[in-house]
Amino acid sequence: MKRNVAVIGGGQTRHAARRHDVNQVELVNEAVRAALLDARMTIDEIDTVLLGNMEFFEGCHMTDCWLADGLGAYGKPGLKITTGGTVGATIVSAGAHHVASGLFDTVLCVGFEKQEEGDTGAILSGVAHPLYGRSMAGAAVGYFAMMATSYMAAWGAREEHSAMVAVKARQNARKNEYAHLKLDITVQDALNSRMLAYPIRMLDMCPASNGACAVILADEKTAGDRCEKPVWIRAMDTAHNEQFELDWRDVTTRKPIFSKTSAARLYRQLGVSNPLDYFDVFEIYEPATWAEMVWYEDLGMCGPGEGFRMIEEGKTAMDGPHPVNPSGGVLSTNCIGASAMLRIWEAALQIRGDAGGHQVPGDVRRALATAYGGTNWTVLTALSRDLDD
Amino acid sequence: MKEVNETAPLEVDQHITAHSRYYAGTIGSLFYTTLRDEKKILGIRCAACDRVLWPPRQTCGRCFTQLSEKDFVEIGPNGTLETFTRVSYSEPVHPAPAPLIYGIIRLDGADTGITHLIGGVPFEALRVGMRMMPVFSEERHGDILDIRWFTPLGE
Amino acid sequence: MNKEPTERELVSIPITVDVPYRFAAGKYMARFLTELRDNGRFIGIRCPVCGRVQMPPRVVCAVCHVKNGEWVKLGLEGSLAGFTIMYLPLTDPTTGKAHEPPFVYGSVRLDGCDSVVDHLIDVEPDVDKVRVGMRLRAVFRPREQRTGDLSDIVHFAPVDNEQNRTP
Repeated sequence: MKRNVAVIGGGQTRHAARRHDVNQVELVNEAVRAALLDARMTIDEIDTVLLGNMEFFEGCHMTDCWLADGLGAYGKPGLKITTGGTVGATIVSAGAHHVASGLFDTVLCVGFEKQEEGDTGAILSGVAHPLYGRSMAGAAVGYFAMMATSYMAAWGAREEHSAMVAVKARQNARKNEYAHLKLDITVQDALNSRMLAYPIRMLDMCPASNGACAVILADEKTAGDRCEKPVWIRAMDTAHNEQFELDWRDVTTRKPIFSKTSAARLYRQLGVSNPLDYFDVFEIYEPATWAEMVWYEDLGMCGPGEGFRMIEEGKTAMDGPHPVNPSGGVLSTNCIGASAMLRIWEAALQIRGDAGGHQVPGDVRRALATAYGGTNWTVLTALSRDLDD
Repeated sequence: MKEVNETAPLEVDQHITAHSRYYAGTIGSLFYTTLRDEKKILGIRCAACDRVLWPPRQTCGRCFTQLSEKDFVEIGPNGTLETFTRVSYSEPVHPAPAPLIYGIIRLDGADTGITHLIGGVPFEALRVGMRMMPVFSEERHGDILDIRWFTPLGE
Repeated sequence: MNKEPTERELVSIPITVDVPYRFAAGKYMARFLTELRDNGRFIGIRCPVCGRVQMPPRVVCAVCHVKNGEWVKLGLEGSLAGFTIMYLPLTDPTTGKAHEPPFVYGSVRLDGCDSVVDHLIDVEPDVDKVRVGMRLRAVFRPREQRTGDLSDIVHFAPVDNEQNRTP
């Protein structure tokens, strides 16, 4: 980074299936006010406002226009970004660039989705290539299901492993006051839940949530003056995939799939030889249980085909040696435009020791937050408590 | 096989139909139910800016003050025509077929205008600055077309 | 204005947007779709550096970033790379009609091609009747029904008459 960048505050809404009591402006305003309160700042001290959500998901084009009031964005410079599910992290990435460049000192980053308002199936079908596959636009669940059957065939993983990931997520979420789904389930409950697209069952898949997240980024001087517990963004990497040749559903491929490319670059930048030694907690963007297992491998947390063994052996439990998604992850809360930002914010909370009931035991010096988008992006963010660590 | 440049260009027609549902929120809901049930138009006052805003909203964009129902004020029903135009073409999304007249009316007591349809008057008779009044729809559902249109006052 | 908050009605407004599109296929895609329509055949394109045969065909190799040159005629047979049995009524956005669940669809890697094509698989929606690796063959519509689209293919059907059982 040209200049160092810290997360000096943040906030989120209580994510829910229904928020009929607020419109989109009011929803984001809840997160914005929470972030300003957390950072002990006023909106006038914010230099620029960046907004992200899924294109047209609420049937509202140019949400940056309509949400200006609630964002406190009147007259301020800013950007609207849409990169699919990664957008929450892309916004933080753009925000970090704003600060690192020296052009801005304080940036308000906001991600949201008011998913009940839109026709996500119809809009998501627009992600498929119009001339090569749109008629089979499988919705997210279809894509992940196909990845899952390849994974089971390649490595011998079973549906029980998916259920174990589901149980970890849902039980962790019960300790997170902001999570949407807090479910007291067992492996058997997961295996008994309704089949959506073989092998993915209802409890293996993320919900549709209404919610928003806001984080405030600042330069080193502002962080030093204003913030007791700044969390430093040490590196970010973003990689874009291509849908056909770099098919991420092909779990045995040796091609430069985005998640592997991005992780390799990030680790090289930071001098990471083993992410399990380097990071104390991981917040992984997992729209489905199977994705979490595959991404353990892509992130170099284990070798190819070993992801399902990590969950089997409890290595990624909240009290395990390498906790993954103590927040409950995307499986528990999925307001898509905010989901990737929530990974970063939850990682920051862990580093600050402010995650409350879902704080992992032990010292959290460094965390990795990942983001995934069906538009074939990934964004990885490495955060740390100390600037020189 | 034909060479690439010999192949005739190909175009494919598709369409996407998306159904959405916009929730007005508590303040917005009060605005719409008052419009529907009482035929009253509400604005909201930011005391810090001393401005009355339409549509009513929870945050004042200029000063970021949080507003609430206690800040509601009745505006209009009459107002002044700030600008207008006639749309000569039809699109499926338009509320009525062409020719369609609409404009911005600044209701009495408000600092911002309301964009709405204008009816019951020939286009040529309209002038900026004219006094206008709302004509309410007989059947009202809690949306902006509960006002059918605005028409010149008196005539 | 004098109602209690708990009585308050929360208003929502439904909006439907129906947007027509016309996509230009471009030269390479037009050639691919024209081959499907006119000859009931798949064609891919090969990268001169990595040698991968790519479908849909494209001007530049996604991995090597060099211009692709060589068109490759492909057969109709391949292997199933991944699949799912869909229990949700997925709407085909190009027709507005739902595929009737349960049905099987998956990714087929044609022999000689590096990438996959997603399509319906003509097998019973039963986990014991479909497996990764099974051999499949594209079944095309009659020529007069083909328009130059992947729906010119009805589905991929198992090559063998015997059921492809899980080993």
